Amino acid sequence: MREAYVIGAGQTPFGAMPGESYRSLFADAVDAAFDSVPDGIDAGEVDEAVVGTLGVGGRQIGLSAPAVTEHAGLHGVPSTRVENACAASGYAVRQAVQAVRSGMADVALAGGVEVMTDLSGDAAKYWLGVSGETEWERLTGTTFAGVYAQMASAYFDRYDATPEHLSQVAVKNHANGAKNENAHLGFECSTEDARDAPIIADPLNLYHCCPTSDGAAAVVVASEDAVDEYTDEPIRVAGVGAASERVGLFQRDTYTGIDASMEAAAEAYDRAGIEPDDLDFAEVHDCFAIAELLAYEDLGFCGRGEAHELIESGATELGGELPVNASGGLKSKGHPIGATGAGQIAEAYKQLRGEAGDRQVEDAELGLTHNVGGSGGAAVVHVLEREVGR
Amino acid sequence: MSAENPDEPGIAAIGAYTPRLRIDAAEFEAAWGRFDAAGVEEKAVPEADEDALTMGIAAAQRALDAAERDGDEIAHLAFATTTPPMAEEDLTPRLVSVLGAPEGADTRTLTGSTRAGAQALVGALDAGPWNGSAGDGIGLVVVADCPHGEPDSEIEHAAGAGAAAFVLAADAPGSVVDRGSHVDSYPGTRFRGAGSEATTGLGATQYDRESFTTALGGAAAALDLDPATADAAAVQSPDGKLPYRAAGALGVDTETIAAGETVSYLGDTGAASAFLGTASAFDDDAECVLLAAYGSGAGANAFVIDGSVPVDAALSGTTELSYAEYLRRRGEITTGEPEGGGAYVSVPSWQRTTPQRHRLIAGRCPDCGALNFPPGGACRDCHVRPGGYEQVELSGRGTVEATTTIAQGGAPPEFVEQQSRSGPFVSAIVALDGPDGGSVSVPSQVLADGETVEIGTRVEATIRRIYTQEGVTRYGFKLRPVERRR
Repeated sequence: MREAYVIGAGQTPFGAMPGESYRSLFADAVDAAFDSVPDGIDAGEVDEAVVGTLGVGGRQIGLSAPAVTEHAGLHGVPSTRVENACAASGYAVRQAVQAVRSGMADVALAGGVEVMTDLSGDAAKYWLGVSGETEWERLTGTTFAGVYAQMASAYFDRYDATPEHLSQVAVKNHANGAKNENAHLGFECSTEDARDAPIIADPLNLYHCCPTSDGAAAVVVASEDAVDEYTDEPIRVAGVGAASERVGLFQRDTYTGIDASMEAAAEAYDRAGIEPDDLDFAEVHDCFAIAELLAYEDLGFCGRGEAHELIESGATELGGELPVNASGGLKSKGHPIGATGAGQIAEAYKQLRGEAGDRQVEDAELGLTHNVGGSGGAAVVHVLEREVGR
Repeated sequence: MSAENPDEPGIAAIGAYTPRLRIDAAEFEAAWGRFDAAGVEEKAVPEADEDALTMGIAAAQRALDAAERDGDEIAHLAFATTTPPMAEEDLTPRLVSVLGAPEGADTRTLTGSTRAGAQALVGALDAGPWNGSAGDGIGLVVVADCPHGEPDSEIEHAAGAGAAAFVLAADAPGSVVDRGSHVDSYPGTRFRGAGSEATTGLGATQYDRESFTTALGGAAAALDLDPATADAAAVQSPDGKLPYRAAGALGVDTETIAAGETVSYLGDTGAASAFLGTASAFDDDAECVLLAAYGSGAGANAFVIDGSVPVDAALSGTTELSYAEYLRRRGEITTGEPEGGGAYVSVPSWQRTTPQRHRLIAGRCPDCGALNFPPGGACRDCHVRPGGYEQVELSGRGTVEATTTIAQGGAPPEFVEQQSRSGPFVSAIVALDGPDGGSVSVPSQVLADGETVEIGTRVEATIRRIYTQEGVTRYGFKLRPVERRR
């Protein structure tokens, strides 16, 4: 199988951007990705484009991929929308890798875009809920905050964790996001802020939930045959894993973990030939603070029921043994649904190239991204590696 | 007039249900400087997810329990209310579905005046007994009401809520030993125009009394038996004063009326008024009750019911509301579902899940034996798609496995109105007990009166309004802690 390499990745700032459209955001992300290709790239060199977007209402839904790629100047390039809720562009990157590995494309662009802040709060909730299990779960009055809160309740019931640990996740990710110029909520928060915020869905309070954001991100993937035209220091896609699970939490075997994440991670580690211990950093899907704790366990950073000890130990802070969400994560960097997965790759690309500034993880050579759709109906994990001395 | 049907069915049992929410008359006095419902000290208030149909279902289930009969024995089902949740559309098919009654059951809806329940009882008595090849069938008369008036009206000050259901059967412990009716044209005492939500009346006090006593007196005069022999008289009670004005016309004393009254603590329960009074009287061990129902227009019915009728009644309240909370529950100060778009469940999609929403029909995987809810597609346990699932009806009892309380702002749009009216609600995953061990997990709201629910709490099913969209109210099960059963 041909190797695939990330030769460029970039993103727009995440946040509320009333001056931007979904098209202009996507074009800006493509520009940022192209600008990051060390030896440069032209739009005409892209063979394939995959766009992840949920398609929050208020704009183009059908044919939304050509709508953005044509606007961005990728004229004529075959372009497909991938939809897997919050994991849409993580899956888009996986599709681009597949296109390159299969030989159908030498250069593929994967991106994601979402505009969420131009709707009323009520209208936004219509769209936030569309990826929950619609006929049963949603009709008990839950949005995702409610479903993740149920997971938190089961986790707290089973293990010694408390809401205090959720707040520690928020404090850590805000501290990182404060160092990220692209972060939606790029400010530090105190333990008190994170503890005393208004409850959204008990035990989750406002600081335990990510914001809804506008933004776009794009990743350029090249084959081993083409990579040398673009860079001497490529980032290898060492492993990819993905898995599906029942959409409704009530239909699953466990509420204190996400099976799809476990399976995706196991596959990605296996293909990369690494163990979790080998990782230098990880960008994980912390849509709610409990999700980061579950990710620690699902991705094998610690044992079952030990995630609260891991966050307490400081190991996942910048400078710790395994920094998690150096970008600020979904919590602080923001969560424009369709752009999140590609945005995680953009962060990993920066880290692996040593271009992450104040939030740089020292000697980052091997990084992981973890992108989850909904409450775990889909998950995709990428392991990226800086090839030393290619 | 005596019963002319010698085989007339008797009263096998009575079920009664009232909402657990209550408001004290003092709350109205504090808000308005006065309270216009004489003799009402406290009254029952429906939750935002309750209406005449859900209250009627709760009463019907209690009546069947008390009679030790099953829904599949129902041959005749009558639903009576002045406040049907829909002005046009038959609600009895939903009752049939929820109660598991045969699809061939004879059903009817009576409405239009507070005498609707009495009309339903007359019809059922005349229709029975029901002898089928499968054995003796039963009749079920469900009377439920939740009157509603303009906030500053006497009707609204008095308006309570509740439901009663009578199981009719041959060889029953109770018998309707006498009955009579009377009509006389007295328009205007209580009415609601087409398209209006609020019931009103002319408020001509002397005229109202004359209509009331003339109709009820006429019905009592049509009896062969002397009403004075009754232990209790359950008399139509639009307020706590008017029934006593009819004591003379009915031929009973005021103590007898007091023995069959519920208006002082439930308020005006409309069509259900005399039926709830009857339930309360038999619950207090009365052995002969005069049921006297009145409806504006005007007409009245009187029934003498003799015997020791078993009763399963939830007449006590548990939660006191402030007047502001009351206005929220009534929908007076909330704005309904927000505008939006996005995903929703179409009515046909909902309809296909009716057996699950109404009767908790799960499926057992023929390959691995795991319970699936809803049944369909690949088995949740062995992930193989079987040719078909064995239908299994769950008891509706289960244990909370995961839970959250959805606070202000955390509800999807379909549930914004519920939250505006009732405040935060509990959304949980519950492992429902299988019939032969095992369990199957379902998501559900848990009715906890504004409190949180712990993992491990035992719960049981009850039917409520889930939400309304496209004008169609979706009814389905919710769960409530067993320890909160009344």
